[in-house]
Amino acid sequence: MRFDFTPEEKDFKRQLSSFLDDVLPTDWHGPADESRDDHWTLNQDIKKGLAERGWLVMSWPKEYGGADSSPMMNTIFAEEMAYRRAPGHDRFGTRMFGPTLMRFGTEEQRKRHLGSIARGEIQWCQGYSEPNSGSDLASLQTRAIEDGNDFLVTGAKIWTSLAHRADMMFMLVRTDPEAAPHKGISLILVDMKSPGVEVLPIVNMAGVHSFNQVVFDNVRVPKSNLVGDLNDGWRAGMTVLNFERSGIDYAAWARAALEEMVDYVNSDEAAVTSAKTDSTVRIKLAELHMEVEAARLMCYDVSYRQGKGEIPSSEASMSKVAASEVYLKVLDYGVEILGMYGVLEPGSDQAELQGRFFKMRLFYTSGPILAGTNEIQKNIIAQRGLGLPRK
Amino acid sequence: MDFGLTETQELIRASAREFLEDRSKSDIVRAVAEGDNEAISSLWKDIVALGWPSLTISEDHGGAGMSFSDLAVLLEELGASLAPTPLVESSISSWIIERFAPDSLKSDMLPQIANGDILITPAIVEQDASWDPESTKVAATRSGSSLVITGEKRFVAFAEQATHALTLVRIDNEEPVLVAIPIWKADGFEQTPVAHASGVPVSSLTFNELEVPVGNIVATGNEAIEAVEELTAAGGVARAAQLAGLGRTVVDATVEYTANREQFGRPVGTFQAVQHHLAEMAIAAKQVNHLAYSAAWTFSQEGYSVIAAAQAKIAASDKIAELCWTAHQCHGAIGFTWEHDLHLYTRRALAWKTDYGDSAFHKSKLASAMGL
Repeated sequence: MRFDFTPEEKDFKRQLSSFLDDVLPTDWHGPADESRDDHWTLNQDIKKGLAERGWLVMSWPKEYGGADSSPMMNTIFAEEMAYRRAPGHDRFGTRMFGPTLMRFGTEEQRKRHLGSIARGEIQWCQGYSEPNSGSDLASLQTRAIEDGNDFLVTGAKIWTSLAHRADMMFMLVRTDPEAAPHKGISLILVDMKSPGVEVLPIVNMAGVHSFNQVVFDNVRVPKSNLVGDLNDGWRAGMTVLNFERSGIDYAAWARAALEEMVDYVNSDEAAVTSAKTDSTVRIKLAELHMEVEAARLMCYDVSYRQGKGEIPSSEASMSKVAASEVYLKVLDYGVEILGMYGVLEPGSDQAELQGRFFKMRLFYTSGPILAGTNEIQKNIIAQRGLGLPRK
Repeated sequence: MDFGLTETQELIRASAREFLEDRSKSDIVRAVAEGDNEAISSLWKDIVALGWPSLTISEDHGGAGMSFSDLAVLLEELGASLAPTPLVESSISSWIIERFAPDSLKSDMLPQIANGDILITPAIVEQDASWDPESTKVAATRSGSSLVITGEKRFVAFAEQATHALTLVRIDNEEPVLVAIPIWKADGFEQTPVAHASGVPVSSLTFNELEVPVGNIVATGNEAIEAVEELTAAGGVARAAQLAGLGRTVVDATVEYTANREQFGRPVGTFQAVQHHLAEMAIAAKQVNHLAYSAAWTFSQEGYSVIAAAQAKIAASDKIAELCWTAHQCHGAIGFTWEHDLHLYTRRALAWKTDYGDSAFHKSKLASAMGL
């Protein structure tokens, strides 16, 4: 039992933190909005900086340019990046697609793609959800029909984050419509500049263009871009979700937001003069402090178990539920403490904290929905974790 | 970060489970709740023989010199089985005596606590039910080499069994003093049991010009206040560890019940409405467990931490009580009966929620520590 980081871990955290001090603008509060060109440039600069220091893919094996760093180290990396609300993390390439390719890709595919991810050169996006396939992902309908040495892809993907900035997409397509839903799916790689690919922006409820609908109209994809065997894409596709389902980003965002609120309540701003002396505010902020720490420990537990070679599926789901929920509680309370100022939109002169809390509260409504809704996660906890019967 | 147990801790857990499976069965828990003091004495005698009261006492003073984390592992099992025994009371008192008492008192009392000759329980709270040491009113006056004590302490656990009460008093309505009062068959002392949800003996203690040698003083002035603050924090972590165990048992029992109880031709545990209740219960139990161990580890390293203790006790108090209520919902009507054991857990959770500082008390402490 030890609830502390090793000297090596602490040292890494310090180095990363000091790198972020240098590279983030002095008045940086985030969160990054990658549809803005200045934020996208910052994203690219940080990504390159991380790559130069060997941090971008440090979780990867040495043979692919990584450092074989421990799951705990990777969690510390993700936590610090999220805590600073720093862009440039590239979770699609480094955390999801890269490891999947190592496991399921051909030697040629690995050579071709892993290096460019490790150098921070290529932006990937993830083509999974479709307009009619959300939680029930296996019902996806985007078709890939064999045509000589190519596939012809037709259909639509939706909620695709960063598709408007991405060079490449890894996507699930239906290659055998006659087979059972899970058995007729393949994983393929698509160049976003291919003729017939159209990216349609979707503006979310926070007013941010962060995701898109991507429409495919007879898009020609070489068969050499098939990852794994034909009709065996479900297995590879699910591997990605295991990399995706950690709560550490939310736990870190929640801690940053809570600290920002505590500082603000302690400040001399007129909007909070009554909050400062209100004992219910103290009590509520203390409760949130406990909740944030509880969620954080859940995430560390997942990394600890991964480090021991376990696949902590239920624990990962627990961490995602706990952390995404506590983050919303923190943001809710931030908006509430600001009272009538809390609902001023960003850009308003009178907005406190640049209207950030209101905007983030709206933006992170997505937390309990994306990467497997929290309801789906609870099914996993109950069935895989607690062993409750499915039928 | 290491969420695993050490080899020693694995041994503690295994031997505790083996012992408690037999010695803390529900008929024993029920008998104690109905006033069977013989059952308490017999259990405590065996626990003393296992050396548990000596666990965290230093080797210099006849103890095993183990850490607060090791104690937490043991307490989790005690909580999981609702063991009706004063190990928290004894361990927390000896922890504070070790950290605050003068050497002479330590060498006198600690070996006797370790070997079971002394059973000491904290007596801090008074009529206002506050764990804030500043609110203490029980009066003491100096008379030669004695303190003469008059007043009432409330909510004292296992006072019927205890030989000593670790009591906070005020000399001349001013200076706070923490003193180990011998109460076993003492003159000028009365203990009045109250009917308490914990299912273990809880009493009010009345002191009427009771004389205590000044040699029994553990700490004086600011040190006495600090000692009681630490006692409350350490007690809060200890209760959190017990509540983590209690929560684990209730989750396991509810899984077992809902996986087997059939309605509409299938186990009710197949319904998402029930599964989601259980998923939330499992998350809560896990969080309390992590926070309790994290706090216990911090105590092992730093001796004391307001923040860690508060986080653990707030989570344990609020989340485990809620977990128990959800378990009743998942059990349906059977869990609403006196016959079913579930309410024993709920009663204990609600009782433990209030002692060593309730959730509101620790939130206020935590808020101050956060700079609010």
